[in-house]
Amino acid sequence: MDSIALIRDFLKDRLGVEAEKIVPEAALADLGVDSLMMLELMFEFEDHFGIKLSPDLKPPRTVGEMVSQMDQLISEKKD
Amino acid sequence: MQQRRVAITGIGLVSPYGGDLADFFSHLMAGESAIRHLLTEDLPRPLSIPFVSCPTFDPESALGKPLASMMDRFAQLGMAAAFAAWDDCGLPRITDDSAVRDGWGVAWGTALGGTLAYEKGYRELWQKGRERLSPLSVLLGMNNAANAHISIQLGLGGVSMSHTVACASSAIAIGEAFRRVRSGEATVMVTGGSDVPQAYGVARAWEALRVMAPGDADTSPAACRPFASNRRGLVLGEGGAALVLEDWEHAVARGARIHGEIVGYGTSCDHTHLVRPEAAGQIRALNATLADAGLTADDIDYINAHGTATAEGDPVEVAALKAVFGERAARLPVSATKSMHGHLLGAAGAIEAIATVLALREQAVLPTANLAGQIDPACVGVDHVTAGRRGVPLRAALSNSFAFGGSNAVLAFRRVP
Repeated sequence: MDSIALIRDFLKDRLGVEAEKIVPEAALADLGVDSLMMLELMFEFEDHFGIKLSPDLKPPRTVGEMVSQMDQLISEKKD
Repeated sequence: MQQRRVAITGIGLVSPYGGDLADFFSHLMAGESAIRHLLTEDLPRPLSIPFVSCPTFDPESALGKPLASMMDRFAQLGMAAAFAAWDDCGLPRITDDSAVRDGWGVAWGTALGGTLAYEKGYRELWQKGRERLSPLSVLLGMNNAANAHISIQLGLGGVSMSHTVACASSAIAIGEAFRRVRSGEATVMVTGGSDVPQAYGVARAWEALRVMAPGDADTSPAACRPFASNRRGLVLGEGGAALVLEDWEHAVARGARIHGEIVGYGTSCDHTHLVRPEAAGQIRALNATLADAGLTADDIDYINAHGTATAEGDPVEVAALKAVFGERAARLPVSATKSMHGHLLGAAGAIEAIATVLALREQAVLPTANLAGQIDPACVGVDHVTAGRRGVPLRAALSNSFAFGGSNAVLAFRRVP
């Protein structure tokens, strides 16, 4: 599973958001992701990809920002 | 400040029978048990006990997915019951003038809170070998989760509190809410309770206390037999039950339907033993409630008993009633509806308060199931109701809640003609 698929699964499962709304330019807040849901979503990424998110990580604003942040961390882990 | 009269304008619950309030009441009147055999898939040994579940309760359809996913089941049941009570009281869930609700509050009862959420966490850590838990675990598990969600969803800006007093939790929550409205401090209070005792560790611990009635698929519906000589113990159940208490004049001014009036609340502690009940403590709570309500024993026409069907508890409760009601006790209708809806722990006081208010409103006395022809000689001396009675002029009634720890709470209700 890639990053956007994880976000799609998570938002469908937790908030009932339809997959087609989860596009790179969509703001996470508009999809119903508040600060608590963001924590939970980050936890899912850590859990699924075995990565560690820094406490200082700037919370992403859009789906696209989150995908590129996560893809970066995942590729660093592989290296 | 002059004391306010307190109207009950909203009633709501998640019914173990799956229907609405009228359906709940008619099942109780017919003496029909909601108790079924519960067989879980828990490891290493599944639970196999009589239990009361709410099988038709679907949190996602009742609350919507985003809200349901932020809650443990105890909070889901509580929120659904609170929504039902609020809708019943006729006020909108969302108001344009939010300042009006700044002083309105929630007093909620739960004995176990989010125990299921914590138990899920332990399973993740100890059974599945995981090292970390979801960051939401704290917010799912905290005891005040239900009242916090209710305050948020209904925009209530006053006190939001939870009461954990074992089996008296929600009777005390209702009593404390009643005092806030009576004193004029709050115009409206949402109150009640919710609990989910099917947590594996909780149910196993209750089994070890040797107070749980046994039962299989065939015998479970009749497993709980309060006041009967063949009683074998209590039956736990999950549920949520809520009431809206409202300043009388406020309710009348907006033309609200008033189901009944809450008029008294008394508490005491046995201060003798953690689990062995003491009539003296119960008598103090009963008398305190009558005094608080400005009623005498002669004004009471029905008692919804604590009546859990334990060997020790039932005779002590009857002894307390005989001491308070004297000669009248023999003619005083008493029933233990736990024989049908089970013991909801932190929601018990609330579901029984609802049963009592509906009995007054409908002028009908609810029965104790499984009692006809089986009354224990140690429990005689009151008018045990073994079949529902309709068309009975009921003026006022009491609901008893006597908890482990010796904490007693009694609520008094009056019919509104």
